[in-house]
Amino acid sequence: MNRQEKQAAVREAINKVPLISSAAARLLELSGESEHGIVDIVNIVKYDAVLTSQILKVVNSAAFARRTEVYSIDHAVSLLGEDMVVGIAMSEAAALLFDKKLEGYAAEAGSLWRHDLKTAIAAKIIAGYARTKVNGDLAFTCGLLHDLGKGVLSDFLRNTPEKIRRAMEEKKVPDYAAAERAILGIDHAEAGYELSLNWNLPAPLPQAIRFHHQPALIDEALKPLLYTIHLADIVAMMSGVGTGSDDLQYTLDTAYEMYIPLSGNELAMVMLGVEQEFSKAAAVFLGKEEEASE
Amino acid sequence: MGKTVVVGVGEFAVSNDPGEVIKTFALGSCVAVIFLHKPTRTVGLIHVALPESSISPDIVRDRPGYFVDTGIPAILKKMAACATPGANLTQGMMVKIAGGANVLDTNNTFNIGKRNVLALKKILWPLGMGPVAEDVGGSISRTVSVSVETGKIALSSPTKGVWEL
Ligand SMILES: [Fe+2]
Ligand SMILES: [Fe+2]
Repeated sequence: MNRQEKQAAVREAINKVPLISSAAARLLELSGESEHGIVDIVNIVKYDAVLTSQILKVVNSAAFARRTEVYSIDHAVSLLGEDMVVGIAMSEAAALLFDKKLEGYAAEAGSLWRHDLKTAIAAKIIAGYARTKVNGDLAFTCGLLHDLGKGVLSDFLRNTPEKIRRAMEEKKVPDYAAAERAILGIDHAEAGYELSLNWNLPAPLPQAIRFHHQPALIDEALKPLLYTIHLADIVAMMSGVGTGSDDLQYTLDTAYEMYIPLSGNELAMVMLGVEQEFSKAAAVFLGKEEEASE
Repeated sequence: MGKTVVVGVGEFAVSNDPGEVIKTFALGSCVAVIFLHKPTRTVGLIHVALPESSISPDIVRDRPGYFVDTGIPAILKKMAACATPGANLTQGMMVKIAGGANVLDTNNTFNIGKRNVLALKKILWPLGMGPVAEDVGGSISRTVSVSVETGKIALSSPTKGVWEL
Protein backbone atom coordinates (compact mmCIF):
# COMPACT_ATOMS: atom_id res chain seq x y z
CA MET A 1 0.00 0.00 0.00
CA ASN A 2 1.30 3.46 -0.76
CA ARG A 3 0.75 6.36 1.60
CA GLN A 4 -2.44 7.52 -0.07
CA GLU A 5 -3.97 4.06 0.14
CA LYS A 6 -2.93 3.78 3.77
CA GLN A 7 -4.48 7.14 4.56
CA ALA A 8 -7.72 6.02 2.93
CA ALA A 9 -7.65 2.80 4.94
CA VAL A 10 -7.15 4.77 8.18
CA ARG A 11 -10.11 7.00 7.31
CA GLU A 12 -12.21 3.93 6.65
CA ALA A 13 -11.22 2.53 10.05
CA ILE A 14 -12.13 5.84 11.72
CA ASN A 15 -15.56 5.67 10.13
CA LYS A 16 -16.02 2.14 11.41
CA VAL A 17 -15.44 3.03 15.08
CA PRO A 18 -18.81 2.59 16.83
CA LEU A 19 -20.55 5.75 17.99
CA ILE A 20 -20.46 6.49 21.72
CA SER A 21 -23.66 6.31 23.76
CA SER A 22 -25.76 9.45 23.85
CA ALA A 23 -25.25 9.67 27.61
CA ALA A 24 -21.47 9.69 27.18
CA ALA A 25 -21.68 12.31 24.41
CA ARG A 26 -23.98 14.47 26.53
CA LEU A 27 -21.62 14.23 29.53
CA LEU A 28 -18.69 15.36 27.38
CA GLU A 29 -20.74 18.26 26.15
CA LEU A 30 -21.79 19.21 29.68
CA SER A 31 -18.18 19.52 30.86
CA GLY A 32 -17.73 22.49 28.50
CA GLU A 33 -20.76 24.37 29.83
CA SER A 34 -19.92 26.93 32.44
CA GLU A 35 -23.01 26.46 34.60
CA HIS A 36 -23.62 22.86 35.50
CA GLY A 37 -23.80 20.72 38.58
CA ILE A 38 -24.29 17.23 39.94
CA VAL A 39 -28.05 17.39 39.24
CA ASP A 40 -27.40 17.80 35.51
CA ILE A 41 -25.08 14.81 35.56
CA VAL A 42 -27.62 12.65 37.39
CA ASN A 43 -30.23 13.65 34.84
CA ILE A 44 -28.06 12.33 32.03
CA VAL A 45 -26.88 9.18 33.77
CA LYS A 46 -30.22 7.95 35.07
CA TYR A 47 -31.65 7.40 31.59
CA ASP A 48 -28.81 5.08 30.69
CA ALA A 49 -29.26 1.75 32.46
CA VAL A 50 -25.83 0.36 31.57
CA LEU A 51 -24.02 3.48 32.77
CA THR A 52 -26.12 3.63 35.93
CA SER A 53 -25.25 0.07 36.86
CA GLN A 54 -21.59 0.67 36.04
CA ILE A 55 -21.48 3.70 38.32
CA LEU A 56 -23.17 1.81 41.14
CA LYS A 57 -20.73 -1.04 40.66
CA VAL A 58 -17.75 1.30 40.95
CA VAL A 59 -19.06 3.14 43.98
CA ASN A 60 -19.75 -0.16 45.73
CA SER A 61 -16.40 -1.67 44.77
CA ALA A 62 -13.64 -2.47 47.21
CA ALA A 63 -11.73 0.66 46.21
CA PHE A 64 -14.34 2.82 47.88
CA ALA A 65 -14.47 0.68 51.01
CA ARG A 66 -17.93 1.84 52.02
CA ARG A 67 -19.61 0.10 54.90
CA THR A 68 -23.11 0.47 53.49
CA GLU A 69 -24.29 -0.31 49.98
CA VAL A 70 -25.18 2.70 47.79
CA TYR A 71 -28.41 2.12 45.87
CA SER A 72 -29.34 5.58 44.58
CA ILE A 73 -27.70 7.02 41.51
CA ASP A 74 -27.91 10.56 42.98
CA HIS A 75 -25.88 9.47 45.95
CA ALA A 76 -23.42 7.52 43.79
CA VAL A 77 -22.79 10.47 41.45
CA SER A 78 -22.26 12.90 44.29
CA LEU A 79 -19.82 10.50 45.95
CA LEU A 80 -17.84 9.98 42.76
CA GLY A 81 -17.85 13.55 41.45
CA GLU A 82 -18.09 14.74 37.88
CA ASP A 83 -14.63 13.70 36.63
CA MET A 84 -15.04 10.12 37.76
CA VAL A 85 -18.48 9.85 36.19
CA VAL A 86 -17.22 11.23 32.87
CA GLY A 87 -14.27 8.85 33.14
CA ILE A 88 -16.51 5.84 33.75
CA ALA A 89 -18.83 6.82 30.89
CA MET A 90 -15.92 7.22 28.44
CA SER A 91 -14.06 4.11 29.57
CA GLU A 92 -17.22 2.17 28.70
CA ALA A 93 -18.17 4.10 25.57
CA ALA A 94 -14.75 3.89 23.93
CA ALA A 95 -13.51 0.69 25.59
CA LEU A 96 -12.67 -0.77 22.18
CA LEU A 97 -10.01 1.90 21.68
CA PHE A 98 -8.90 2.50 25.26
CA ASP A 99 -8.39 -1.12 26.25
CA LYS A 100 -6.80 -2.58 23.16
CA LYS A 101 -3.19 -3.62 22.94
CA LEU A 102 -1.42 -0.93 20.90
CA GLU A 103 0.75 -3.14 18.73
CA GLY A 104 1.70 -0.25 16.47
CA TYR A 105 3.16 1.53 19.50
CA ALA A 106 4.62 -1.54 21.23
CA ALA A 107 2.33 -0.83 24.18
CA GLU A 108 0.38 -3.17 26.43
CA ALA A 109 -3.40 -3.28 26.64
CA GLY A 110 -4.69 -0.50 28.89
CA SER A 111 -1.73 1.84 28.22
CA LEU A 112 -3.88 4.29 26.29
CA TRP A 113 -6.46 4.47 29.05
CA ARG A 114 -3.82 5.03 31.75
CA HIS A 115 -2.08 7.72 29.69
CA ASP A 116 -5.31 9.54 28.84
CA LEU A 117 -6.56 9.34 32.43
CA LYS A 118 -3.28 10.69 33.77
CA THR A 119 -3.29 13.49 31.19
CA ALA A 120 -6.88 14.35 32.18
CA ILE A 121 -5.95 14.59 35.86
CA ALA A 122 -2.87 16.68 35.04
CA ALA A 123 -4.92 18.97 32.78
CA LYS A 124 -7.39 19.75 35.54
CA ILE A 125 -4.57 20.63 37.94
CA ILE A 126 -2.60 22.68 35.39
CA ALA A 127 -5.78 24.59 34.43
CA GLY A 128 -5.55 26.21 37.86
CA TYR A 129 -2.28 27.89 36.86
CA ALA A 130 -3.51 29.46 33.60
CA ARG A 131 -3.36 33.24 33.33
CA THR A 132 -6.89 33.47 31.93
CA LYS A 133 -9.42 31.08 33.39
CA VAL A 134 -9.48 27.58 31.93
CA ASN A 135 -12.47 25.38 32.77
CA GLY A 136 -10.98 22.49 34.75
CA ASP A 137 -13.78 20.05 33.87
CA LEU A 138 -13.33 20.79 30.20
CA ALA A 139 -9.56 20.40 30.51
CA PHE A 140 -10.14 17.00 32.15
CA THR A 141 -12.41 15.88 29.31
CA CYS A 142 -9.96 17.03 26.63
CA GLY A 143 -7.17 15.16 28.39
CA LEU A 144 -9.28 12.01 28.47
CA LEU A 145 -9.86 12.16 24.71
CA HIS A 146 -6.63 13.67 23.40
CA ASP A 147 -4.88 10.50 22.16
CA LEU A 148 -7.87 8.37 21.13
CA GLY A 149 -6.59 8.51 17.56
CA LYS A 150 -3.76 6.15 18.56
CA GLY A 151 -6.36 3.45 19.10
CA VAL A 152 -7.19 3.64 15.39
CA LEU A 153 -3.68 4.29 14.04
CA SER A 154 -2.07 1.48 16.00
CA ASP A 155 -3.35 -1.23 13.62
CA PHE A 156 -1.67 0.53 10.70
CA LEU A 157 1.66 1.05 12.47
CA ARG A 158 2.54 -2.57 13.16
CA ASN A 159 6.27 -3.24 12.74
CA THR A 160 7.07 0.49 12.59
CA PRO A 161 8.29 1.31 16.16
CA GLU A 162 11.93 0.28 15.59
CA LYS A 163 12.03 2.01 12.23
CA ILE A 164 10.60 5.21 13.70
CA ARG A 165 13.04 5.10 16.61
CA ARG A 166 15.96 5.02 14.19
CA ALA A 167 14.49 7.87 12.12
CA MET A 168 14.04 9.90 15.31
CA GLU A 169 17.62 9.18 16.42
CA GLU A 170 18.92 10.26 13.04
CA LYS A 171 16.74 13.38 13.31
CA LYS A 172 14.96 12.58 10.08
CA VAL A 173 11.63 13.48 11.66
CA PRO A 174 11.02 16.20 14.26
CA ASP A 175 8.60 14.21 16.41
CA TYR A 176 6.54 11.02 16.49
CA ALA A 177 3.44 12.64 14.99
CA ALA A 178 5.53 13.65 11.98
CA ALA A 179 6.68 10.04 11.65
CA GLU A 180 3.04 8.90 11.69
CA ARG A 181 2.26 11.39 8.94
CA ALA A 182 5.26 10.27 6.89
CA ILE A 183 4.07 6.66 7.01
CA LEU A 184 0.29 7.03 6.93
CA GLY A 185 -0.41 10.51 5.63
CA ILE A 186 -2.28 11.23 8.88
CA ASP A 187 -1.21 11.47 12.55
CA HIS A 188 -2.99 10.37 15.73
CA ALA A 189 -4.12 13.91 16.55
CA GLU A 190 -5.82 14.31 13.18
CA ALA A 191 -7.32 10.81 13.43
CA GLY A 192 -8.73 11.63 16.87
CA TYR A 193 -10.10 14.88 15.49
CA GLU A 194 -11.93 13.10 12.68
CA LEU A 195 -13.24 10.51 15.09
CA SER A 196 -14.57 13.20 17.41
CA LEU A 197 -16.35 14.85 14.46
CA ASN A 198 -17.97 11.50 13.65
CA TRP A 199 -19.09 11.34 17.26
CA ASN A 200 -20.56 14.83 16.93
CA LEU A 201 -18.57 16.12 19.88
CA PRO A 202 -19.11 19.84 20.41
CA ALA A 203 -16.41 22.51 20.07
CA PRO A 204 -13.80 22.89 21.40
CA LEU A 205 -13.24 19.14 21.96
CA PRO A 206 -12.36 18.22 18.34
CA GLN A 207 -10.02 21.23 18.06
CA ALA A 208 -8.32 20.39 21.35
CA ILE A 209 -7.66 16.84 20.17
CA ARG A 210 -6.36 18.02 16.81
CA PHE A 211 -3.82 20.54 18.10
CA HIS A 212 -2.56 19.01 21.34
CA HIS A 213 0.95 18.69 19.87
CA GLN A 214 0.74 21.99 17.97
CA PRO A 215 -1.05 24.38 20.32
CA ALA A 216 0.40 27.39 18.51
CA LEU A 217 -1.84 26.66 15.51
CA ILE A 218 -5.19 27.14 17.27
CA ASP A 219 -7.27 30.33 17.59
CA GLU A 220 -6.00 32.70 20.24
CA ALA A 221 -9.11 32.25 22.39
CA LEU A 222 -8.46 28.53 22.75
CA LYS A 223 -4.74 28.77 23.44
CA PRO A 224 -4.95 28.71 27.25
CA LEU A 225 -6.94 25.45 27.07
CA LEU A 226 -4.67 23.95 24.40
CA TYR A 227 -1.45 24.74 26.24
CA THR A 228 -3.00 23.21 29.33
CA ILE A 229 -3.60 19.93 27.44
CA HIS A 230 -0.18 20.17 25.78
CA LEU A 231 1.60 20.44 29.14
CA ALA A 232 -0.61 17.82 30.80
CA ASP A 233 0.32 15.31 28.10
CA ILE A 234 4.01 16.02 28.70
CA VAL A 235 3.62 15.75 32.47
CA ALA A 236 1.95 12.34 32.02
CA MET A 237 4.84 11.15 29.83
CA MET A 238 7.49 12.53 32.20
CA SER A 239 5.84 10.67 35.05
CA GLY A 240 6.36 7.41 33.19
CA VAL A 241 2.83 6.93 31.86
CA GLY A 242 3.11 6.99 28.08
CA THR A 243 1.87 4.72 25.34
CA GLY A 244 4.97 2.75 24.39
CA SER A 245 7.21 3.57 21.44
CA ASP A 246 6.16 7.22 21.14
CA ASP A 247 6.74 7.96 24.82
CA LEU A 248 8.50 11.36 25.23
CA GLN A 249 8.99 11.60 21.44
CA TYR A 250 7.28 14.99 21.17
CA THR A 251 8.46 18.56 21.54
CA LEU A 252 7.56 21.03 24.25
CA ASP A 253 6.17 24.29 22.83
CA THR A 254 7.72 26.80 25.22
CA ALA A 255 5.22 29.49 24.22
CA TYR A 256 3.09 27.95 27.01
CA GLU A 257 4.80 30.45 29.32
CA MET A 258 2.62 33.24 27.95
CA TYR A 259 -0.53 31.40 28.99
CA ILE A 260 0.55 29.25 31.91
CA PRO A 261 3.38 30.85 33.87
CA LEU A 262 4.68 27.80 35.76
CA SER A 263 7.83 28.01 37.88
CA GLY A 264 10.03 24.98 38.47
CA ASN A 265 8.63 24.56 41.98
CA GLU A 266 5.06 24.91 40.74
CA LEU A 267 5.68 22.23 38.13
CA ALA A 268 7.06 19.99 40.87
CA MET A 269 3.88 20.64 42.90
CA VAL A 270 1.78 19.80 39.84
CA MET A 271 3.64 16.53 39.41
CA LEU A 272 3.12 15.61 43.04
CA GLY A 273 -0.58 16.45 42.87
CA VAL A 274 -1.01 14.43 39.68
CA GLU A 275 0.67 11.41 41.26
CA GLN A 276 -1.64 11.53 44.27
CA GLU A 277 -4.85 12.04 42.27
CA PHE A 278 -3.84 9.37 39.79
CA SER A 279 -3.25 6.73 42.43
CA LYS A 280 -6.72 7.47 43.84
CA ALA A 281 -8.33 7.26 40.40
CA ALA A 282 -6.31 4.19 39.50
CA ALA A 283 -7.66 2.45 42.57
CA VAL A 284 -11.17 3.02 41.24
CA PHE A 285 -10.64 2.46 37.54
CA LEU A 286 -7.92 -0.13 37.44
CA GLY A 287 -9.18 -2.12 40.39
CA LYS A 288 -5.87 -1.77 42.17
CA GLU A 289 -6.19 -2.51 45.86
CA GLU A 290 -5.16 0.75 47.40
CA GLU A 291 -6.57 2.43 50.42
CA ALA A 292 -9.15 4.96 49.28
CA SER A 293 -9.99 7.76 51.64
CA GLU A 294 -13.25 9.62 51.73
CA MET B 1 13.05 -17.96 39.37
CA GLY B 2 12.89 -15.97 42.57
CA LYS B 3 10.67 -13.19 43.66
CA THR B 4 10.42 -9.83 41.89
CA VAL B 5 10.05 -6.83 44.16
CA VAL B 6 8.40 -3.93 42.28
CA VAL B 7 9.32 -0.41 43.35
CA GLY B 8 6.81 2.36 42.55
CA VAL B 9 7.34 6.11 42.22
CA GLY B 10 8.82 7.49 45.44
CA GLU B 11 9.45 4.03 46.85
CA PHE B 12 12.61 2.07 47.57
CA ALA B 13 13.56 -1.49 48.33
CA VAL B 14 16.58 -3.13 49.90
CA SER B 15 17.46 -6.81 49.78
CA ASN B 16 20.20 -9.31 50.48
CA ASP B 17 18.13 -12.30 49.37
CA PRO B 18 19.95 -13.71 46.33
CA GLY B 19 16.67 -15.08 44.99
CA GLU B 20 15.21 -11.62 44.53
CA VAL B 21 15.06 -9.20 41.62
CA ILE B 22 14.25 -5.54 42.28
CA LYS B 23 12.43 -3.83 39.45
CA THR B 24 10.99 -0.40 38.66
CA PHE B 25 8.99 0.50 35.56
CA ALA B 26 9.03 3.38 33.06
CA LEU B 27 11.14 6.00 34.80
CA GLY B 28 10.34 8.97 32.56
CA SER B 29 11.98 12.00 34.18
CA CYS B 30 12.38 10.07 37.44
CA VAL B 31 15.71 8.50 38.31
CA ALA B 32 16.50 5.05 39.70
CA VAL B 33 19.54 4.93 41.96
CA ILE B 34 20.98 1.48 42.48
CA PHE B 35 23.25 0.77 45.45
CA LEU B 36 25.40 -2.33 45.26
CA HIS B 37 27.29 -3.23 48.43
CA LYS B 38 29.42 -6.23 47.57
CA PRO B 39 31.00 -6.90 50.99
CA THR B 40 27.56 -7.57 52.52
CA ARG B 41 25.81 -8.58 49.26
CA THR B 42 23.17 -5.95 49.88
CA VAL B 43 21.34 -4.26 47.01
CA GLY B 44 19.10 -1.21 47.13
CA LEU B 45 17.01 0.59 44.52
CA ILE B 46 15.16 3.88 44.90
CA HIS B 47 12.84 5.57 42.35
CA VAL B 48 13.08 9.31 43.01
CA ALA B 49 10.76 11.76 41.24
CA LEU B 50 11.83 15.26 42.24
CA PRO B 51 15.01 16.99 43.38
CA GLU B 52 13.90 18.81 46.51
CA SER B 53 11.57 18.03 49.39
CA SER B 54 11.23 21.66 50.48
CA ILE B 55 8.24 22.09 48.15
CA SER B 56 6.08 19.73 50.18
CA PRO B 57 7.28 18.83 53.67
CA ASP B 58 4.07 16.92 54.45
CA ILE B 59 4.67 14.34 51.70
CA VAL B 60 8.11 13.61 53.14
CA ARG B 61 6.60 11.84 56.15
CA ASP B 62 4.67 9.33 54.02
CA ARG B 63 7.07 9.05 51.16
CA PRO B 64 10.60 10.37 51.69
CA GLY B 65 11.65 8.44 48.58
CA TYR B 66 9.88 10.93 46.37
CA PHE B 67 12.69 13.42 46.67
CA VAL B 68 16.42 13.16 46.13
CA ASP B 69 17.36 15.02 49.32
CA THR B 70 15.23 12.87 51.64
CA GLY B 71 15.25 9.65 49.64
CA ILE B 72 18.99 8.98 49.61
CA PRO B 73 19.41 9.21 53.41
CA ALA B 74 16.28 7.05 53.83
CA ILE B 75 17.47 4.21 51.63
CA LEU B 76 21.00 4.30 53.07
CA LYS B 77 19.52 3.95 56.54
CA LYS B 78 17.51 0.96 55.40
CA MET B 79 20.57 -0.56 53.75
CA ALA B 80 22.55 -0.18 56.95
CA ALA B 81 19.77 -1.97 58.82
CA CYS B 82 19.68 -4.75 56.24
CA ALA B 83 23.43 -5.29 56.01
CA THR B 84 25.51 -7.06 58.64
CA PRO B 85 25.48 -5.05 61.88
CA GLY B 86 28.48 -2.82 62.13
CA ALA B 87 29.33 -3.06 58.42
CA ASN B 88 30.81 0.06 56.95
CA LEU B 89 28.61 0.86 53.97
CA THR B 90 30.83 3.56 52.54
CA GLN B 91 33.52 0.90 51.97
CA GLY B 92 32.88 -1.04 48.78
CA MET B 93 29.64 0.66 47.82
CA MET B 94 28.98 0.96 44.10
CA VAL B 95 26.30 3.33 42.85
CA LYS B 96 24.68 3.41 39.41
CA ILE B 97 21.89 5.64 38.11
CA ALA B 98 19.39 5.50 35.24
CA GLY B 99 16.50 7.64 34.04
CA GLY B 100 16.08 11.41 34.02
CA ALA B 101 14.58 11.53 30.54
CA ASN B 102 12.69 14.40 28.96
CA VAL B 103 10.58 15.30 25.96
CA LEU B 104 12.29 16.85 22.93
CA ASP B 105 13.26 20.55 22.97
CA THR B 106 12.48 20.87 26.64
CA ASN B 107 13.23 24.03 28.59
CA ASN B 108 14.85 24.45 31.97
CA THR B 109 11.58 24.33 33.92
CA PHE B 110 10.50 21.06 32.31
CA ASN B 111 13.95 19.50 32.47
CA ILE B 112 13.18 17.82 35.77
CA GLY B 113 15.16 14.78 34.67
CA LYS B 114 18.37 16.80 34.47
CA ARG B 115 17.67 18.55 37.77
CA ASN B 116 17.11 15.16 39.41
CA VAL B 117 20.45 13.88 38.15
CA LEU B 118 22.31 17.02 39.30
CA ALA B 119 20.70 16.93 42.73
CA LEU B 120 21.64 13.26 43.07
CA LYS B 121 25.29 13.84 42.25
CA LYS B 122 25.43 16.74 44.65
CA ILE B 123 24.33 14.50 47.48
CA LEU B 124 26.22 11.33 46.43
CA TRP B 125 29.65 12.82 45.79
CA PRO B 126 30.30 14.08 49.32
CA LEU B 127 29.36 10.61 50.59
CA GLY B 128 32.05 9.12 48.37
CA MET B 129 29.33 7.41 46.37
CA GLY B 130 29.55 9.17 43.02
CA PRO B 131 27.88 7.01 40.33
CA VAL B 132 30.28 4.65 38.58
CA ALA B 133 27.83 4.14 35.72
CA GLU B 134 24.92 6.12 34.41
CA ASP B 135 22.37 5.92 31.61
CA VAL B 136 20.52 9.20 31.89
CA GLY B 137 18.80 11.88 29.84
CA GLY B 138 17.50 11.64 26.31
CA SER B 139 13.87 10.95 25.39
CA ILE B 140 13.55 7.37 26.44
CA SER B 141 11.58 5.94 29.33
CA ARG B 142 13.69 3.26 31.00
CA THR B 143 12.64 0.21 32.98
CA VAL B 144 15.25 -1.10 35.41
CA SER B 145 15.75 -4.45 37.09
CA VAL B 146 18.56 -5.58 39.38
CA SER B 147 19.44 -9.12 40.33
CA VAL B 148 20.40 -9.22 44.00
CA GLU B 149 22.53 -12.31 43.44
CA THR B 150 24.73 -10.96 40.65
CA GLY B 151 24.26 -7.21 41.02
CA LYS B 152 23.63 -7.12 37.27
CA ILE B 153 21.39 -4.27 36.14
CA ALA B 154 19.19 -4.63 33.07
CA LEU B 155 17.65 -1.59 31.41
CA SER B 156 14.88 -1.85 28.84
CA SER B 157 12.52 0.26 26.76
CA PRO B 158 9.72 -0.62 24.32
CA THR B 159 11.81 -0.07 21.18
CA LYS B 160 15.41 -0.56 22.28
CA GLY B 161 15.09 -3.98 23.86
CA VAL B 162 17.28 -4.84 26.85
CA TRP B 163 20.79 -3.66 27.65
CA GLU B 164 23.10 -3.71 30.63
CA LEU B 165 24.06 -0.80 32.86
FE1 LIG C 1 -0.68 12.84 21.37
FE1 LIG D 1 -0.63 12.01 24.89
